[in-house]
Amino acid sequence: MFPRWFRSLSFLETFSRLWIRYKPARRSGSPFLGWNAPSRRVLFAVGFLAATSASAVDFETEVAPILEAKCLSCHNQNILKGEFSMETQEAMLSAGQDILIPGNAADSVLHWITLPISADEPPEMPEKGEPLTESEADALAAWIDAGAEWPEELVLREASKADKSWWAYQPLTTPRLDSIDAYIGEALASSGLVRSPEADRRTLIRRATYDLTGLPPEPEAVAAFVADKDPRAYERLIDRLLASPRYGERWGRHWLDVARFGESVGFEQNWIIDNLWPFRDYVIQSINDDKPFDRFILEHLAGDVIANGDPNVEIGSAFLVAGPYDSVNNQDAAQAAQIRANTLDEIINASSSAFLGMTVSCARCHDHKFDPISQADYYRLYATFSGIEHGEATWASPADKKTRAATLRPLSESKRALESEIEALDARVLERSMERLPDFQSRWTRPPVSRIGMAETFDPVEAKFVRLVCEAQDLDLESNRLWRVDEFEIWSAEANPRNVALAVNGGIARGEARRIEDFPNAYGAQHVNDGKVGIRFIAASDRLTIELAEPTRIDRVFISSAQDEQAPELFKFAFVADYRIETSLDGKTWTEVAHGRDRKPVDRKPINPARGRESPYITHLEYRLLHLGATDAEHVRKTSLRQELASVKRELARVPALPTAWLGKRDPEKAAGPFSVFIGGNPQRSGDEVAPSSLSTLSEVVEAYALEPDSNESQRRRALAEWITDADNPLTPRVLANRIWHYHFGTGIVNTPNDFGYMGGRPSHPELLDFLAAELKENDWKLKALHKQIMLSQTYRQSADWREDGGLVDADSRLLWRFPPRRLSAEEIRDTFLALSDDLNLEIGGPGFRLYHFMRDNVSTYEPLDTHGPETYRRAVYHQNARASVVDLMTEFDQADCTLSTPRRSQTTTPLQALTLMNHSFTLDRAERMADRIEEAAPSDQEAQIRSAYRLAYQRLPEPDEIQVASALVADHGLRALCRAILNSSELIYLD
Amino acid sequence: MNGSLDDYSRRRFLGDVTTGLMGVGLSHLLGGEALFAANAGRLDWKPGSGMTHLQPRAKRVLQIFCPGAASHMDLWEHKPMLDKYDGKPLPGEENFVSFQGKNGPLMRSPWKFAPAGQSGKMISSMMPHMAAHVDDIAFFHGMQSKTNTHGPGCVFVNTGHETEGFPSAGAWISYALGSLSDNLPTYVAIPDIRGEPPNGKANWSNGFLPAKYQAITMAAHRPIRNLRPPKTVGSDEERDTRAMLRRMNERHAELRPQESELQARMGAYELAAKMQLSAPEVSDFESEPEHIHRLYGTDSQNSLKAAYARNCLLSRRLLERGVRYVNLYCSSRASGVDGLLNWDAHKTLKDDYERHLPIFDQPTAALLSDLKQRGMMDDTLVLWTTEFGRMPTRQNGTVGRDHNPDGFTLWMMGGGVKGGASYGATDDFGRRAEENPTTIWEFYSTVLHILGLDYNQLSWYHNGLDRRLTDVHGHVIKDVLA
Repeated sequence: MFPRWFRSLSFLETFSRLWIRYKPARRSGSPFLGWNAPSRRVLFAVGFLAATSASAVDFETEVAPILEAKCLSCHNQNILKGEFSMETQEAMLSAGQDILIPGNAADSVLHWITLPISADEPPEMPEKGEPLTESEADALAAWIDAGAEWPEELVLREASKADKSWWAYQPLTTPRLDSIDAYIGEALASSGLVRSPEADRRTLIRRATYDLTGLPPEPEAVAAFVADKDPRAYERLIDRLLASPRYGERWGRHWLDVARFGESVGFEQNWIIDNLWPFRDYVIQSINDDKPFDRFILEHLAGDVIANGDPNVEIGSAFLVAGPYDSVNNQDAAQAAQIRANTLDEIINASSSAFLGMTVSCARCHDHKFDPISQADYYRLYATFSGIEHGEATWASPADKKTRAATLRPLSESKRALESEIEALDARVLERSMERLPDFQSRWTRPPVSRIGMAETFDPVEAKFVRLVCEAQDLDLESNRLWRVDEFEIWSAEANPRNVALAVNGGIARGEARRIEDFPNAYGAQHVNDGKVGIRFIAASDRLTIELAEPTRIDRVFISSAQDEQAPELFKFAFVADYRIETSLDGKTWTEVAHGRDRKPVDRKPINPARGRESPYITHLEYRLLHLGATDAEHVRKTSLRQELASVKRELARVPALPTAWLGKRDPEKAAGPFSVFIGGNPQRSGDEVAPSSLSTLSEVVEAYALEPDSNESQRRRALAEWITDADNPLTPRVLANRIWHYHFGTGIVNTPNDFGYMGGRPSHPELLDFLAAELKENDWKLKALHKQIMLSQTYRQSADWREDGGLVDADSRLLWRFPPRRLSAEEIRDTFLALSDDLNLEIGGPGFRLYHFMRDNVSTYEPLDTHGPETYRRAVYHQNARASVVDLMTEFDQADCTLSTPRRSQTTTPLQALTLMNHSFTLDRAERMADRIEEAAPSDQEAQIRSAYRLAYQRLPEPDEIQVASALVADHGLRALCRAILNSSELIYLD
Repeated sequence: MNGSLDDYSRRRFLGDVTTGLMGVGLSHLLGGEALFAANAGRLDWKPGSGMTHLQPRAKRVLQIFCPGAASHMDLWEHKPMLDKYDGKPLPGEENFVSFQGKNGPLMRSPWKFAPAGQSGKMISSMMPHMAAHVDDIAFFHGMQSKTNTHGPGCVFVNTGHETEGFPSAGAWISYALGSLSDNLPTYVAIPDIRGEPPNGKANWSNGFLPAKYQAITMAAHRPIRNLRPPKTVGSDEERDTRAMLRRMNERHAELRPQESELQARMGAYELAAKMQLSAPEVSDFESEPEHIHRLYGTDSQNSLKAAYARNCLLSRRLLERGVRYVNLYCSSRASGVDGLLNWDAHKTLKDDYERHLPIFDQPTAALLSDLKQRGMMDDTLVLWTTEFGRMPTRQNGTVGRDHNPDGFTLWMMGGGVKGGASYGATDDFGRRAEENPTTIWEFYSTVLHILGLDYNQLSWYHNGLDRRLTDVHGHVIKDVLA
């Protein structure tokens, strides 16, 4: 047998021709736009080649499936890898490069490129995935040789793994059984298992209280519940917990995870967002109010549309902009378009996974590989969200806006009047001054100040202190700050002059500088007398002082901001325009020894040539003329006008600003259609047009809609929201019911709550999921009724004890033969610490607290705090969660990072958790306060104190052996040692 | 085998402590690093067990990151044509617009290039110390990025994705290989004394991997957080409290013998206690002899250089003691003044780099020499990275260069790397990758290959996909393998 690659008769010939064409030993082109076919192949062997027989092959049944399975994932019209598609005959034939030569398989690239290069080297194509089998290769060759017949209308498509018949897209089934327990019991029975007995009352109240409120039950509530003989005691407990405002805080947090709610913009700048908290409060309030969830979804996508002018509803659609985005300004148009596409992708991803459990973003560059979501579907959503921009906006009712405008109007009018009067006065002065220009100019005898270096010599003077005082900065003449100095030399008046300013000569430089917190001396005065240029002082006031080692006779200074620079006109070298040099012996009385008022005015150049930005300020000449040319009366008048203006501005500032919130903006220009698919996800390559419309995925079950390309963007979002919450849409209630189940039991019926597609988990109890979804709709999309139904079930109330029979069959307890135990979340742990020490501040809502120190120097830095003060003693849901920040305790215990939607938190156990809980001052503070609290209640009775600590933390009394050990510790080290151990104990943070 | 849901809970219980941040190295139990699944597929690869898919050539990684986009044509890739055409327009791209706006004519590198090593490889004369290592370096001169913005660029080079939320290479490798030490972190990020790089902590994030795979941050100027007991707790109280805690947790666990997580939690407290003892020792440089301090330059008058030198020394000590992945930064973010705090030389390249290069050169070269003289270079993979390159032109009206995502240089050396190799190249001016354009996915495919990992098999299910460090791409660059 000859190897298969010998078979093609003209293989060698073809190969050598192609070798020339494809040859690049150097690959070229951008790897992000598809490779030009690389060829590293080595000419392997020569041999005898047999022609393939040209027997009839049926394209549709024998060839098309091969192309669909092995070629189309790259060579389709949306990816166009190698710049060709294989979806239609026309596309194939127009692909060029001899890809398909009907009647000649041997010369067709399509054929030979799929043959192995040698025994050890797989074929060049397909680049990914399995090569063609021998019979596939034969069929393909036979079809080409037979003339490559391809029915004209036939368009090939790479099929996704799941199609529209996928379980999640089917209508809800009619419930067969009537309770949660019935469904769970049936599945248990079929595995030969039974439910565990009901948990004891202490366990139940602890479990339910944490579950619904995220806090430990009060010892009194536990005692009362344990003693309550009423058969409805448990139900009353659930009702009480559901009515507590703490419920919304706990379950609101779950939703905030899903909604990827974060309070900084992310990416490079990662600026903190101080006004997104109203969205967090809105979520908590809506959940406490048991707002129907279909309404909640509508408000998330189109709150501003359905209730324009009602701030409490508008805030819902802050959801759209609650995610991270790249806020850096990019002048490169192609990059800017890509960034915009990434921003919209984030919104598409967040919306489709939160409400629909669909991974629509996987269809950005090509049709979804696994689910029936076409690339056109993706761009339908792209069109829908195309008008959204991130940012803040006024968050107030029309009435409030009107009231404020009315207050502002007269003030704004006087401001405008004063400004124009000043302008007119300046114009008059300027005009008159221009006539005297020659006179002024005759006084300006010296060259202008140079940033490269400004020298002043003067009669020798004894000085201990020398300072530069800026009267006008050379860019913004009205300012005397933000000028730079790279070196400040002071020369002694002696035969061999020395630069006595230098630090090595004992000079000390002082001046208020721009500060960066985490690198405080970055722009400090120490740069001006280090003998080196390149790094400069940036003034935050009008002066820079050098203290000399000892009083010295000096007669010369030399000061620069851009010594040795090739482009000194740049903004970063801003310098003084008008200035004076003063000396002093005591640092109190100063004498002017030089000034720059007799210099010619500075010429100005654009401050940022790359962006062609011109200076918005008056010129130095104008500045001088305004000062020199005015009469005394005009000076007086101008001073008084300025004072008036300042006072009006102060009054304006006193009018309270309307509140703002991170509501996002709407840009009709960006929303203007038509829209199209981006081939390969590349905004520079437009494909077929798409309209803002429903997803084809559910076309069989929910009525579709398609809006005009020029439809109003608000209409698009509303239509999408209504389609998502349509009574026929089975996905939305399924996804929501599954989330509720997930949070109650630790694992969803579908264990991938954001992905109900092929790659996600399969439902462990499909019928139960439909039952719950149906109940949810029955309950008008309200959650509380569903919580109650779940929590009253025997399934929920059973013991968490491990059982051998269950463990053997179902170690993860997915079948729920017991209640799955869980660890507390990061928020629950922190809240519990505060509750046990009786320091938890239960204030609801408002701006969040911070467990980090926020610093900004163009970009942001978040440093975790070593001590947590009383202002942080609120529930953790009120923490201002910045992206890419690390926060003690919260981060280690798997708090959601909120950069991406987090439908399921991981539950890790690490030594870092131990370090934080043992060593961070927060734990010790809590332990001490807990000890104080207990000691106050039972002074001098050590055993009572120990009992009290156990009751608070574990809702149980200690056993005698526990008391014994604890007593020894308390006797030696006080109660705080015991409390610190308790706060670290597993029993505290695990729930049965 | 990958992070699919089926093994989620098993990993949760078995894997947590064994593979966690500074978790106990299960590899010790399983007989060390030599263990690899010779025929991937036949033998199940277990993440974090010390097992690999292929025979590994290196077992730890030092990644040096110079944020701000360190200029390829001013450091590593000699472009003589820039000298010849200095001041003339870039052919075919006159007045083009890039990140910050318009570009002016071509600009030569401010310093001469000089031949280095046996190979005579031309590198900038501003790096006399690094010149000693060029024969051991494999350069990737044809790198390309998807983005021209620092933050996404840094994250792209660290995670393979330009958007946030994805695990960094160090996190992936911690997950894949687990720990080499039972009392130090698996993955350490060392930010510069001048602050964090663009996008800050996202650069060493765990992304959607469990939090234990994120880097611990520390530096010579900043110890690991929460490493010492509170000041007001005496050692007796600390000891007795820990003993009490152990009894309480044992008692609680004994009543729940099947909950392995409770055992894991007790193990975590033991490991934390060990780490409290061992971590301060790593940062205690007094035991280092004088000549080592001089080699690194920890005694430099230049305080920024001295600080970076101490971080270099810290890196060696961490790697030596079993840290798997060290992510060391030389410079920080984009401040209000371009090029001041990092390599972002928009306006005044010469000035800026005459500050940055002396900070970088000697300490970095010393670290490499030190790894060599201790025999550690044989199984340490060293990566030098930056987020993208710079334009061959001067930015309009300035003497600096704008961002260039179309061509730049990264390099690697150490175990498994063919020294003296140069893979890929930009065009004559350094504007675009022309020969063998290379993506960060290929770079990491190669990194993983050297570590004995198949980039295709290292994955984790997240929201609809099995995610990978190399995204849906990847290709091992064999040209740089020894």
